[in-house]
Amino acid sequence: MKSKRIRAGAAAITGILLLGACGRGGPAGSDGDFTDGKLVLAVLNDQSGVYKDASGPNSVKAVRMAVADYQKKYGDQAVVDDIEVTSTDHQNKPDIANTKAKELYERGGADVILDVPTSSAALAVANQAKSHKKLFLDVSAATTELTGAQCNKYTFQWAYNTYMLANGTGTTVTRNGDRNWHIIYPDYQFGQDMTKSFTEAITKAGGTVQGTIPTPFPNDNFATFLTKAGSTNPDVIGTMQAGGDLINVVKQFNESGLKERGVDLAVGLMLITDIHSLGVDQFAGTLFTDAWYWNMDAQARAWADRFHDETGTRPTFEHAGNYSAALQYLEAVQEAGTDNADAVVGKLEGKKINDVFLRNGEVRAKDHLVIHDAYLARVKEPSEVREPWDYEEIVTTIPAAEAFAPAEASTCSL
Amino acid sequence: MTQSVVTPAPVAEAPPAAATGAPGLRWVLLAAGLVTALALPWFVYPPVAMDIVAMALFAIALDILLGYTGLLSFGHAAFWGSSAYVTGLIATHYGVPFPVAVVGGALFAMVLALPAGYLSVRRSGIYFAMVTLAFAQLVYFVGYQWSDLTGGENGLQGVPREFFGIEPVETDSFYFYYAALPILLLGMWAAWRIVHSPFGRVLVSIRDNTQRARALGYEVEKYKVIAFVLSAGLTGLAGGVFAINHGFVALTELHWSTSGEVVLMTVLGGIGTLWGGVLGAFLAVMLADYLASSGFDGIDLVTGSVFVLVVLLFRRGLWGTVRHRWLTWQRRRTSPGRTSAGADPSRRGP
Amino acid sequence: MNAVLQYAVQGLAAGSFYALAALGLAVIFGVLGVVNFAHGAFYMLGAVTTAVLLDTLDLTLWWSLLVVPVLMFVFGVAVERLLVRWLLRLDPLYNFLLTFGLTLVLVELVKQRYGVSGLPYRAPEALQGRVDLAGVVLPRYQLFVFLFSVAICVLVWLVMTRTRVGMIVRASTEKPELARALGINVGRWVTPVFGFGVALAGLAGVLAAPFRAITADMGNNFAIILFAVVVIGGLGSIVGAVVAGFLVGLVEAFGQAYAPTFAQILIFVLMALIILVRPAGLFGRKEATA
Repeated sequence: MKSKRIRAGAAAITGILLLGACGRGGPAGSDGDFTDGKLVLAVLNDQSGVYKDASGPNSVKAVRMAVADYQKKYGDQAVVDDIEVTSTDHQNKPDIANTKAKELYERGGADVILDVPTSSAALAVANQAKSHKKLFLDVSAATTELTGAQCNKYTFQWAYNTYMLANGTGTTVTRNGDRNWHIIYPDYQFGQDMTKSFTEAITKAGGTVQGTIPTPFPNDNFATFLTKAGSTNPDVIGTMQAGGDLINVVKQFNESGLKERGVDLAVGLMLITDIHSLGVDQFAGTLFTDAWYWNMDAQARAWADRFHDETGTRPTFEHAGNYSAALQYLEAVQEAGTDNADAVVGKLEGKKINDVFLRNGEVRAKDHLVIHDAYLARVKEPSEVREPWDYEEIVTTIPAAEAFAPAEASTCSL
Repeated sequence: MTQSVVTPAPVAEAPPAAATGAPGLRWVLLAAGLVTALALPWFVYPPVAMDIVAMALFAIALDILLGYTGLLSFGHAAFWGSSAYVTGLIATHYGVPFPVAVVGGALFAMVLALPAGYLSVRRSGIYFAMVTLAFAQLVYFVGYQWSDLTGGENGLQGVPREFFGIEPVETDSFYFYYAALPILLLGMWAAWRIVHSPFGRVLVSIRDNTQRARALGYEVEKYKVIAFVLSAGLTGLAGGVFAINHGFVALTELHWSTSGEVVLMTVLGGIGTLWGGVLGAFLAVMLADYLASSGFDGIDLVTGSVFVLVVLLFRRGLWGTVRHRWLTWQRRRTSPGRTSAGADPSRRGP
Repeated sequence: MNAVLQYAVQGLAAGSFYALAALGLAVIFGVLGVVNFAHGAFYMLGAVTTAVLLDTLDLTLWWSLLVVPVLMFVFGVAVERLLVRWLLRLDPLYNFLLTFGLTLVLVELVKQRYGVSGLPYRAPEALQGRVDLAGVVLPRYQLFVFLFSVAICVLVWLVMTRTRVGMIVRASTEKPELARALGINVGRWVTPVFGFGVALAGLAGVLAAPFRAITADMGNNFAIILFAVVVIGGLGSIVGAVVAGFLVGLVEAFGQAYAPTFAQILIFVLMALIILVRPAGLFGRKEATA
């Protein structure tokens, strides 16, 4: 009886396999210049988890703004009329991001996937882009792996990475006189990468790192770590914590008395939403590297005003980055005259770009990292704040070539 | 007022399985189940279909403990996730066909479950739940920090899908589904065998009355540890297939929220029904998949409310409720006037 | 030596949160037989309410310390009446699952209403700055947290030992069989006790507001450590919960100082050791069946 069941099962499987082989043809061939006669931009990000405020649904709106701008600019000259923007929530779960990316490329007709926060999700999507030979423009994920060891021809990193964050802050703060550092970092990949880049930058700028303290994650009690870091009398404590943990560090730093002893706080990764949620008074004076700030000049400001009309809030650099990535993708498609990924990659590679988000930008051909000017920012004192979201003062502009690691250092081979 | 500390009532209502009655129905259900499993990737996107079946085995494995041994493990993500990592590592470093890697992962989960089970079964009931949760959190921390091995929060990327050089299986998730399905079905069959074996009956008697089982000479702790390890092994099987299906492993698989998710699936399907987990997994995976493109951003609101409602109003779960209805109806039909003394489901579907 | 003292105070301050919340968990468990998974969510709600009260009504920390526990008590009573009550006669696992579902709902609701990045909060001036105790410089707020929670724990202890209500609660927590055999009617205390336990979690949340991130997720990890705390202390024991709370705080602080990465792992290792050596916990009953 058992063997009968197995045989029956085997027969059924064979049958279905055969049917499957017949029913499913090869991939849809592209007859025209555009598959299905349209262009699909798919935003895949976290719309319900911790990255919701920093990117989330408003990034979809930013991408729609880019499409509108493209259509306005080219009008009848546009090579494609039908442009669709889709929005998918990966719920901050990497496996959902992975499946959805696959589905978007295979069945959703997506020509490009945008955004994708969390590094594990972004790296998985990059692999899908590689195997489906479709584009992925990462905005929100910061891991250097995307344009390093795990890079591929179809993946671009548009806004920032851990090197940019660490190098900018480490170098500039050291040069400005804070020579002795103590670093506390969350003991996982991001924290380890950041600490490594920070240490290199500080040493190169003539400073010393007196010690580094790994911390557990998540953690809400940093008092002892701060006491320990303060015990070597550093000029500045660097924290690589992010999100809720960063807020814990800052609150407990303010409370520890280190500030009054003249110890500064430098932050590895800070988003304007962090300042907004904790209040500018808690962060006042903190130095960090930003990829873009909405009020940094007239051009950014004008776009931020438009964004505000659409969303009722001010854009983060990730919102602007998504806008820029979508716009430049459309420009490249316009140039190539097709949505064929290889052709579009060809147009993007080596392209020099100046737009709302990218200043002195260049899509590096070697590793597909988009380099551009970065900014060392200082959080304003409460008395300096003139309007809502007016939190940052740009201290220094870090030129594109210095802001990112040189191409020669990249381990990427496309 | 109740003092459940003193008089614990078994979680599952289902008494031991003396498989009686309607054998015909069983075969019909079995056939329907198999056809559904085989047809699934035709109606559901194949990688999602694979997730459903993997999660189903995960929920079934949990039910061996929850429904048949009376132990709520709130830390099964530790076995699911660690098997996923080990499977991924074996596949990446040794290039073996994926079933071999999956078996390796499952074995690792069993090895890990041995000390964890040994410690956890020293406490029962609600303590057991808390201890397993804490244990899983420990595994999560290790996975997070040991990034040389696990890739940390970048995840273990680029897990290959070797299958004896058979191209369609390796590249197309539609064919991969049929290649991996037997592993999971085998796991489900094993789960069914376990709960219907003499060993399974001892587990149920431990669940129903630990003192009595002990008085009868059973080494209760030993049985519990074995059940725990077996459950972890089946969980590992499912977690390994899940890892190969996705081609990478992320820390989410070790996170306590994954433990919670599988408990939800089991409870939703019906504790102590074994097959209810399949329904629970189907609904949970499809819901997450649907919500991803729905524009609704409060998935936990739905999940949490379902939890509360099921626990308050449908403790039998979906499968349990249907089975209960069917059995009472049948009983009423065959022997009118019989009271509900034995009305509880006394038999499991295939 | 100086550093060691400093770590000790930091540990005790961190332990205060665990002690207060674990105390609540222990009384609820004692009288209702329910392990409240939502305890971390109630802690989070306490902190969020504190921040919202400051923002909307300009209510300072001092007022919040009074008002929030009362609000949380009312909320706890509602949860008990509407949800928990219906499952009390069943296996305690059902209430564990119910409160797990409730946690998901509460966390998500806070996310929907107040976003994911957290809420701002500022401690009152009087609690900022540091005090110098014979050469050991300590943040004033941490000292306050420690002293305040010790005071609360002592107060609870006095209520438990000196009042009739307290004795009933204690009897049914620590010797449920005996309490019942003596014909003590625990039933009417079930709802207030649940509310009281929730209020304690909320109070820990109020104390956390000035120096921890106030986010919807802040209670998640906290709850899991809390479980380790009560396992270490022994679930049935009120003293055990408090002692283990402070103990875990100390383990955390000294772990952070001398084995930073393993600070949290140490807590779970300690738990495993306790289970191995004293399955019932430090202060638990010998044979705790649940």
